[in-house]
Amino acid sequence: MHTFAVAGIELDTFTVVQGAIQGLLYGLLALGLVLLYRTTRVVNFAHGQLGVVIAVFMLKLTDELEIPYLPSLLVCLAFAAGLGALSEMTLRRLFKRPRVLVMVATIGLAEVLYLLSLLRIFSPKQTNVPFPVPIDWEIHIGDGIIPPESVLTLIVAPLVAIGLAAFLRFSPWGLAMRGMAENTDSARLSGVWVKRMSTLAWAIAGLLSAITAILYSPGRTSTLSEALPPGVLLRALAAALIASMTSYTIAFAAGIAIGIIEQIATFNLVTDLHSTAYITLCLFLLILLALAVQVGRLRRDPRTEERSSWVLGGESGRARADATRRWVGRGGVTIALLLGAGLPFMVSEGRSLTLSFVFIYAVIALSMVVLTGWAGQVSLGQFGLVAVGAIVAARLPDMSTILLLVVAGLISSVVAVVVGLPALRIRGVYLAVTTLGFALFMQVTVLPNPCWTLPFTDTDVCTGLPDQFSTYLDRPDLFGMSLTNTRDFALFALGVLIVVLLIVRTWRDRGIARRLIAVRDNETAAAAMGTPVVRTKLLAFALSGFLAGVAGACFAFAQQRFSAGENFGPKESILVLSMAVVGGLGSVPGAVLAAVYLVGLPFLLGSTGTVQFITSGFGVLAFLLYLPGGLGAVACHTGDLVAKLIQRTRAEPTGADA
Amino acid sequence: MTTAAKLTLDDVAVWFGGVHAVDGVSLVIEPGEIVGLIGPNGSGKTTLLDAISGQRRPTRGTVTLDDEAMTGLLPEARAKRGMVRSFQDCRLYPELTVEETLLVSEDARRRVGLLSTTLHAPWARRSERAKRAAVGEVIEAFGLERFRHHRTQELSTGTRRVVDLAAIVLAEPRLLLLDEPTAGIAQREAEAFAPLLRNIHEVTGATIVLVEHDVPLVFSLASQVIVMETGRVASAGTPDVVRADPAAVAAYLGASPEALARSGRLSSAD
Repeated sequence: MHTFAVAGIELDTFTVVQGAIQGLLYGLLALGLVLLYRTTRVVNFAHGQLGVVIAVFMLKLTDELEIPYLPSLLVCLAFAAGLGALSEMTLRRLFKRPRVLVMVATIGLAEVLYLLSLLRIFSPKQTNVPFPVPIDWEIHIGDGIIPPESVLTLIVAPLVAIGLAAFLRFSPWGLAMRGMAENTDSARLSGVWVKRMSTLAWAIAGLLSAITAILYSPGRTSTLSEALPPGVLLRALAAALIASMTSYTIAFAAGIAIGIIEQIATFNLVTDLHSTAYITLCLFLLILLALAVQVGRLRRDPRTEERSSWVLGGESGRARADATRRWVGRGGVTIALLLGAGLPFMVSEGRSLTLSFVFIYAVIALSMVVLTGWAGQVSLGQFGLVAVGAIVAARLPDMSTILLLVVAGLISSVVAVVVGLPALRIRGVYLAVTTLGFALFMQVTVLPNPCWTLPFTDTDVCTGLPDQFSTYLDRPDLFGMSLTNTRDFALFALGVLIVVLLIVRTWRDRGIARRLIAVRDNETAAAAMGTPVVRTKLLAFALSGFLAGVAGACFAFAQQRFSAGENFGPKESILVLSMAVVGGLGSVPGAVLAAVYLVGLPFLLGSTGTVQFITSGFGVLAFLLYLPGGLGAVACHTGDLVAKLIQRTRAEPTGADA
Repeated sequence: MTTAAKLTLDDVAVWFGGVHAVDGVSLVIEPGEIVGLIGPNGSGKTTLLDAISGQRRPTRGTVTLDDEAMTGLLPEARAKRGMVRSFQDCRLYPELTVEETLLVSEDARRRVGLLSTTLHAPWARRSERAKRAAVGEVIEAFGLERFRHHRTQELSTGTRRVVDLAAIVLAEPRLLLLDEPTAGIAQREAEAFAPLLRNIHEVTGATIVLVEHDVPLVFSLASQVIVMETGRVASAGTPDVVRADPAAVAAYLGASPEALARSGRLSSAD
């Protein structure tokens, strides 16, 4: 074997080739992401999931219906293109809306696609059969053998990339798409049928995703439905980001490079239990590095001109000052609070713990209202900050509860400001990917490992976090009252939510929110009027981080232990982002309602985890498509209606009810 | 009313690669003057304003407000020293209502700590009340009462420009940089801007630099006129001097004899 060492890192040809094969798949995914971003400005989180549906279907055709490989493949590819086009037609009505809304809609779409892959029509009875591979060639490198499926990837992936490049370069549609990418309006005026082109782009992306999944699936033992998990998507996003979401060549090459680096790291850390932790750390650092190198380019990019449209459309309609309407609003809030306080006594003890989670999620959703709704910064890593709060709670078990919440909030807000530093220069999708990296880093690297050695140096870094599997956290006392009982704890969580609501309302009505929105909407004008832009941007992160930290401490007490593998990950972060969006981006009551809807309803109606996941995905998509103002607007309109009804009954004193 | 500021530019240049958008402009603008800055498209007027207000770092040269060099100061720091500007696009903050937009200008000057706001400190409440009162007065003075709770994105361009001017008055400027305040609005509305601008000059007492394509408007308001061409000052002086200057006529005014005639009529009627 040709093993050689560079600066203490051992590597050999076999490892590099293996890494390159893995990287080819990241590169293909990245190509699809860049294609969609360039043509329709959408970061498609459903991109991987679409391929999974196709891969599952492919298995059904070949294994269950025993159709030969090639015809099956053709059927599958046609299906993939159709599914891609269908996704575009579903989401099209959102393309003119704030970008963050579209992004969350694609997350909903991913969940719908996930459901699709479970349907009997598409999925085979047995999923643990080997995935078909049409060739049986192997390549020997030293002692290592590259298996047939990898050889297939090695052949097909570059061909697909070259084919895409040729299509974009030489075909008239490719030219139209490139024109669209530069300037949609000009392209439209020059006779490009923009709608059809965008459908075509999505169809091609569907093909790319399907091919990736068909190449990725063989030889994997994990269930197909999770074939392309967030970690893989993050690698593809990182590659796309290195290419500043514009260059196909760089994105593809970066994907390959990430694969190789990852493989070399795994090879060198093979004895180390924490190798995934290190790889995630490296990936996070790589993203930060890519951003740091590119900041200048991203700023000069004409695309950044539309930065503000990432979140525009913010605060849903606020009630006009009218006495009856105000009373209706207060009445509604009072009823909701009484219901919240009464519920713990009406349900079983186990359920009341669930209730406290609903309250805690509502607090996190409010932290997203501040950050995304008002300041327009999209974060996919809010649970990374919640985790910080939880760590603080675990580290300081003897502190008095109120003080502990404040300290957890303050520490989280410091971390949030650090995470938010790149946001001073970048916005939108770039920041979103950074925060996604942060969330994975917290989940995979920091939380499971109390101590780890930094690679290539012998320094130990410790969070001082107790071991996640053995730690049992006592619920705290509050003014001498124990909160061990889940009912008491639910009331405590409700109390925290009420205090946070009061604080957020104060921020909304007394100058903080308008400052954040002003800087979001028009940074230059706000600066020219004397608003300190840098401080205002960081303020948004600090405030949001504070709330997330408070929620994190409560979260730790509710859970009484750390199970980092399941919690504090990107999935939860995406869930709370969905809350802010479904609530109506910037609406305070909307966010609380969304938390009740997305976390409360599935829990209280007692459905299984899977069903809960799916219903929320469907719900989110339906909400975005048909109720653009979100739950905040629904609540507001309901209030208006009730107020109108009351006024009408007053006007006619002969009315039936007194 | 605050004291007007004196603006001094010394050899200011802004280059974009090979394009010399502003190429060595030196000026002294005395306190309390209204200076019209005119010139054909692409002559560097807006870029010069950007360099003055700090949106763009000049390639060389210095900007001095009174006796303080502005080099390296951020736009918000310059605003704090009384240098306030309006923008050609006049986008304002689409999501904020007129009242909130004006409150943002007030916030910048009367800062209240985060903690005091959050905890409802008495001084924070007092300050918020004072701000709202001040904004209320300005809204009334500018006849914006009807639009108070409208989002600025719902307003017509003309109304948005009035809101912008109202925000500027609230900011208590000492030097006002106005970038085409009449762009994108109808001729009749534009004519209503002359008295409005004069009024603002009287109320704030600020030095005003007015970039404008409406030459008659400039000539009727300005005490000094500067004509720019390809990044340089082609002509400068009182309106009468500039009107008679062949260089200025060649650079800009010559393009439209009607405009010349109209400007003559307007300024003699003044």
